Amino acid sequence: MSEIFVITSGKGGVGKTTTTANLGMGLAMRGKRVVLIDTDTGLRNLDLLLGLENRIMYDLIDVTEGRVPYKKALVRHKKVDSLFLLPTSQVKDKTAVDPEALVKLCNEMREEFDYILIDCPAGIEQGFKTAIAAADVAIVVTMPEISAVRDADKIIGELGRAEKDTIKLIVNRIRPQMVENGDMLGMDDINDILSIDCIGQVPDDEKVVTSTNRGEPCITMSDSLAGQAYRNIVGRLMGENIPFMTFPKPGFFEKLKHVFGH
Amino acid sequence: MSEEIVKIKGSAAGGLQLTFAPQATFASIYDDIRAKLTDGNGFFLRGTLVQFPREVFSDDERSQLTKLFHKYGLIFRPLESGTASHSGHERHSFASSLLDQETPAATATALPNWMNEAVAAAENAQSEAPAAEPDPAPKATAAEPAARPAPAESAPEPPAVQEMVVVNRTLRGGQEIRTQSSVLVCGNVNPGAQIIAGGSIDIRGTCRGVVHAGAYGDTSAFIVADQLIPTQIRIASLIARSPDAPAGSNEQSAGAERASIKDGQIVIEPIKR
Ligand SMILES: Nc1ncnc2c1ncn2[C@@H]1O[C@H](COP(=O)(O)OP(=O)(O)OP(=O)(O)O)[C@@H](O)[C@H]1O
Ligand SMILES: [Mg+2]
Repeated sequence: MSEIFVITSGKGGVGKTTTTANLGMGLAMRGKRVVLIDTDTGLRNLDLLLGLENRIMYDLIDVTEGRVPYKKALVRHKKVDSLFLLPTSQVKDKTAVDPEALVKLCNEMREEFDYILIDCPAGIEQGFKTAIAAADVAIVVTMPEISAVRDADKIIGELGRAEKDTIKLIVNRIRPQMVENGDMLGMDDINDILSIDCIGQVPDDEKVVTSTNRGEPCITMSDSLAGQAYRNIVGRLMGENIPFMTFPKPGFFEKLKHVFGH
Repeated sequence: MSEEIVKIKGSAAGGLQLTFAPQATFASIYDDIRAKLTDGNGFFLRGTLVQFPREVFSDDERSQLTKLFHKYGLIFRPLESGTASHSGHERHSFASSLLDQETPAATATALPNWMNEAVAAAENAQSEAPAAEPDPAPKATAAEPAARPAPAESAPEPPAVQEMVVVNRTLRGGQEIRTQSSVLVCGNVNPGAQIIAGGSIDIRGTCRGVVHAGAYGDTSAFIVADQLIPTQIRIASLIARSPDAPAGSNEQSAGAERASIKDGQIVIEPIKR
């Protein structure tokens, strides 16, 4: 049985693409056949995070407009050979793909893949509506920040209206020290408003940035806290019961950073 | 929980809709309903329209239930075949009938716009409602049904009762309820959500959004919530806003509170429920 996830957020820049790349990589590293679909047409960058930009031949629009079969447009990952990317076009805009075409494509892909992950553009306009159309499960990414949580709330409402009722939450870029000091929303504050099932709490981690620049998601790095959090989420998506990471206490955190060579 | 004999949902007509476990006997249904009515969990406020699929009961059973509901001031009525067509997707038709009646005027904050719009919306809703109250003059309809304490004597006949909008879920940012009647929300009202009601507003959950009761000038309308920490409260033409605490600071109210107008001011006081 294949499962289709859409990774969405409302607010931009909260880590949808980072999450898509890491979860896709993680699922594939555990032997699953995975395809990632970039629907952020015009602002694509999932290919960059995976280090695959230079291998793109065709894109999503070529597929939905029937110019090539989807298999021809897939880009296989360099290291993990059960991971594929279907990139989007950098020159077209979000009206170039219509929801039905994406649904049809995803249903075709179900035959070949265990997981289909759709990276959604920010906002609640057409691009969002197209991206969510095919999904079985929506993963809402937010950050511990008022405006991101407000937008997540709005998105959850929109998902409900589109009859997408299975919704999971990932909170990204948590800074334990700031939460401790009361300078950042804690998980309780967030759950209080959003009240949906949380499957991941990802710390803010410089390794995310360095790994992005190298085209290798941080889930591959054993010394990355965010990588560990993503590995836990992958396990949960595969049905394992994994307790949430307890973030190191500030003092300990500093030491840890030191050990990791910062 | 999944074995519940009688399930209650919001209905397209703005009342409650009952569904029944397939194997349930009439006696068990009757007992379950009576238990729900007497435990006063707040689902059944006086004046609420309660609907059920027509085919489930015999005439005799139906009249027994009608009497039971009347005793508690509720209107019990089979779904007409016209409205029954909603039932396949009643949850969604419910949502879309209440929400996002977006028109260019919807963003305007001037009171008259709200009034016109909401009256129009309410008139549409009225076409499904009983043939009573031909011209609901805004002032006259008020919040009476919800505001009236509920002695357990026999209720007025359906035509005398103003129906109430029931929302059985959390209202999230960007969602809006506009109605001429009172509103009962079984869920939270999140920041960025908005309720504009001709009557009173009762929130069985946390209220963080914008709530306007008595939007047509009824100064006796009130707002009740388990946690009342709204962005803004309006009753009739008065406005109170939350204190300028830094955004997101986690102010907690102690328990259920009620906002109403006293001596020309909005006051908030704790209540028990
Ligand atoms: N856990 C994290 N720790 C540190 N930096 C992070 C983390 N997650 C994401 N970032 C950084 O935040 C930025 C935005 O991330 P990303 O592109 O994944 O967000 P997005 O939601 O896809 O954005 P857009 O809405 O533009 O598509 C990137 O520079 C990324 O490296
Ligand atoms: Mg992105």
